[in-house]
Amino acid sequence: MAYWLLPHRTRIFLLILASYVFYGIWDPRFPALLLVPTIVDFFGANAIDGRKMASWKMILSSALPLLWLVICAGTGLSQIPSGELIAASLFVLLLTIVHSLLWLLQEEIRRKAFVVFSIATNLTILGFFKYFNFFADSTKSLLTNMGFHAGWVLPHIILPVGISFYTFQTLAYVIDVYRRQQKACIDLPTYALYLSFFPQILAGPIGRAPQLMPQWQEQKIFSPVYLHDGARLILIGLFKKIFVADSCALLANACFDAKEPLGVAWSVVGALAFTFQIYGDFSGYTDMARGSAKLFGIDLMINFRFPYRAKTPAEFWRRWHISLSSWFRDYLYIPLGGNRLSQNRMFLNLMITMLLAGLWHGAGNMFIVWGAYYGLLLILFRSIPALKNLGKKGWLSILVTFVLTIFGWAIFRSPDAHGLMQWAAGFLKISSELPWLGPALWLVIHVVPLGLLQYLTRKKEDESELTHLAWPVRGVVYLLIFLLTVSTSAQDQEFIYFQF
Amino acid sequence: MKLFSKSFLLVMAMLLIGEASIRIFWSRNMSGRFEYGYNLTSGFEEEKDGTVNLVRAGGRRFHPQSFKMPKPEGVFRVFVIGDSVPRGPSRKEAYAHQLEKILKQKGIRAEVLNLAVPGYGARRSQIVLKQALRYQPDLIIKHINCSNEYEDEREYRRAQDFQSWHPKNWLMKSVLLARLYEAQTEKIFWQLLPAKVRLQTGVQDADAEIAASQNDEKIKQWRDFVTAKTLEDARFIREAGVSGIFISQARSRNMAGGGYDLDDQGLDALQESLARKGMQTLSIKELFAQETDFKKHFADSSHLHPSGHQKIAEALADKVNALIIRNAARTPVQPVR
Repeated sequence: MAYWLLPHRTRIFLLILASYVFYGIWDPRFPALLLVPTIVDFFGANAIDGRKMASWKMILSSALPLLWLVICAGTGLSQIPSGELIAASLFVLLLTIVHSLLWLLQEEIRRKAFVVFSIATNLTILGFFKYFNFFADSTKSLLTNMGFHAGWVLPHIILPVGISFYTFQTLAYVIDVYRRQQKACIDLPTYALYLSFFPQILAGPIGRAPQLMPQWQEQKIFSPVYLHDGARLILIGLFKKIFVADSCALLANACFDAKEPLGVAWSVVGALAFTFQIYGDFSGYTDMARGSAKLFGIDLMINFRFPYRAKTPAEFWRRWHISLSSWFRDYLYIPLGGNRLSQNRMFLNLMITMLLAGLWHGAGNMFIVWGAYYGLLLILFRSIPALKNLGKKGWLSILVTFVLTIFGWAIFRSPDAHGLMQWAAGFLKISSELPWLGPALWLVIHVVPLGLLQYLTRKKEDESELTHLAWPVRGVVYLLIFLLTVSTSAQDQEFIYFQF
Repeated sequence: MKLFSKSFLLVMAMLLIGEASIRIFWSRNMSGRFEYGYNLTSGFEEEKDGTVNLVRAGGRRFHPQSFKMPKPEGVFRVFVIGDSVPRGPSRKEAYAHQLEKILKQKGIRAEVLNLAVPGYGARRSQIVLKQALRYQPDLIIKHINCSNEYEDEREYRRAQDFQSWHPKNWLMKSVLLARLYEAQTEKIFWQLLPAKVRLQTGVQDADAEIAASQNDEKIKQWRDFVTAKTLEDARFIREAGVSGIFISQARSRNMAGGGYDLDDQGLDALQESLARKGMQTLSIKELFAQETDFKKHFADSSHLHPSGHQKIAEALADKVNALIIRNAARTPVQPVR
């Protein structure tokens, strides 16, 4: 309510404040980290656009992370190691020097240099926080296996929540500006909000500037539609998360965290449960994020479009985590040459894209295997005629793709290769000491309502769209969704995609 | 466009109608899921014809049993109250049922009801006692133990927490939603999922319980608390004009030099105080120490095999018989056939 009563400009500041406080709840130092790509890319994109901002503005802005860390240390919000203060101070110096130097270059070279600087900065931050531990540990293991003594002690790097999402969002913006598909934002608060908007910062959807920026600039007037749509999306999101995902998680965890193979029935039930858990968890989060944004009059992009109705693995990726898959398509696969070059090159492009998509999910071997699995599936579906034609075979193609998807999720969920082998070994064990019939029924009970909901929305672009139904039917659906959600007795589970 | 959509208003209307209906037409007491055992009537279901069914108490269950109110003429009614030890491996194997059989063999029209609930400590057992005293018992057998106080405290905090108006409790203030949640938990969650699946998140709590049970100060606090509550129980029983037998639990433990002995956990020290309040006592330690191979009666350190229950039942039968004869001598019209 306060938001809608405020003047337009003040609304922006209110949302920035709310977003940074929200992000800072996870760790008071995180807002300082978020300020770095915000400032680098705001000034970088303007430079790419040929607009040189006043130096004092850049110096003052780039001092904000340092200022925030000093405030944290001074008020006791968080203990700040001196290394972090030094890094924040160096950031001011480095940014000023780099900008001064790059501005000496000729226009086209300068544009390229600024985009490279931006990409390098973002990927360095992402790589350091997300992959440092993984690669350092892997290197250490490798050296040890080769007989070298790698006795160094590695620092433990905390993974800032949502870093993969906002890094990709800011990269998309800078690349769009470089490609002249998007004008650089000239208002720092608007850009700060674009990157930090709290409904999407933790787990997306990964926004695109052409869709989001105009919405921040528009002076909107409150409409009850925002409230209705927002509440509907939040309700459906809660239903997917609490009723579907958290309930399925009980079975998926029991199966994949077991110390030994539980038997064929449990391997099937566990993998199916995780298939619906991850869908309910992530699409539920997305619905809640979209609903929360809608309350402020902001439309976030649709991230899921009935993914388990896909007829081929390629179609699955056009329906699953659309904001990420389209990002990889637009900013990696197509620039690599996409399918415009030779067939072998296309296969290579597909494999590179899917491997990186897997790695994006986390620094773990199983994510890479999962990416490779999808790379292989995409290649096979493009090269084997029988599989190529499968997409035309209606239900059979949906079933085959669904089974392949379930197997993919088993790879994704397994803690390591041993875990995956253990899950697979379950198929060789007919009997199970742990009863499975009740859990299977539990799974059915928690998945069928989701199926019915999706049946109602099957003809819509947005799988959470119910406005085409007559209002009494809609009322009954809302009531049932609400009652099912409230009566769920499964324990709370953290959102899976928060770890990415 | 209006602020509230028609479908939203429909949802609200249906919820309100549902809430009103359930409050008017199904006003039976809550089964106590959200009172966590801290509800006097939870688990006791009174029917119009006077039958009292023992069902559930705070998510835990009594053995399903029923009895009549008022008590039928000539029946000697005994309630056994306690935790998982008197509850027994099954209702028929527990000493309450075995005692009933022995008494009946002696020609006594006895009705021995097992009101023991696993995990119940002094605090919640007292609540069961208070309710049981309303149902015309002739004798209360209270099995005392001091190993359930952690759970009692935790559930007490949960019950208190649930009573608060914290936003997380708002929805459950609705009887309709609370009933629905209970029904879902009882009929689906508990019925369909094996304990191993249900209890995945219970590990941390178990760790905390183990840590607390190894804290000497905490153990002393619990013993003092059990002592105070037990003496209160004795007072309630005496004031109700009912006879009482208190059974003090003992744990079998390994001795340093090999073999086993029985630890009364300090509970036998209560016997004298209880006797002063007119209560009879039975020490598990004394009862089983008479046997050299008492370990064969123990399923673990505390729980008993049916043979152990049989032994307690026999010891109790003698006391109960003596009690009935004594009472009969005092007042000729007694329920002894």
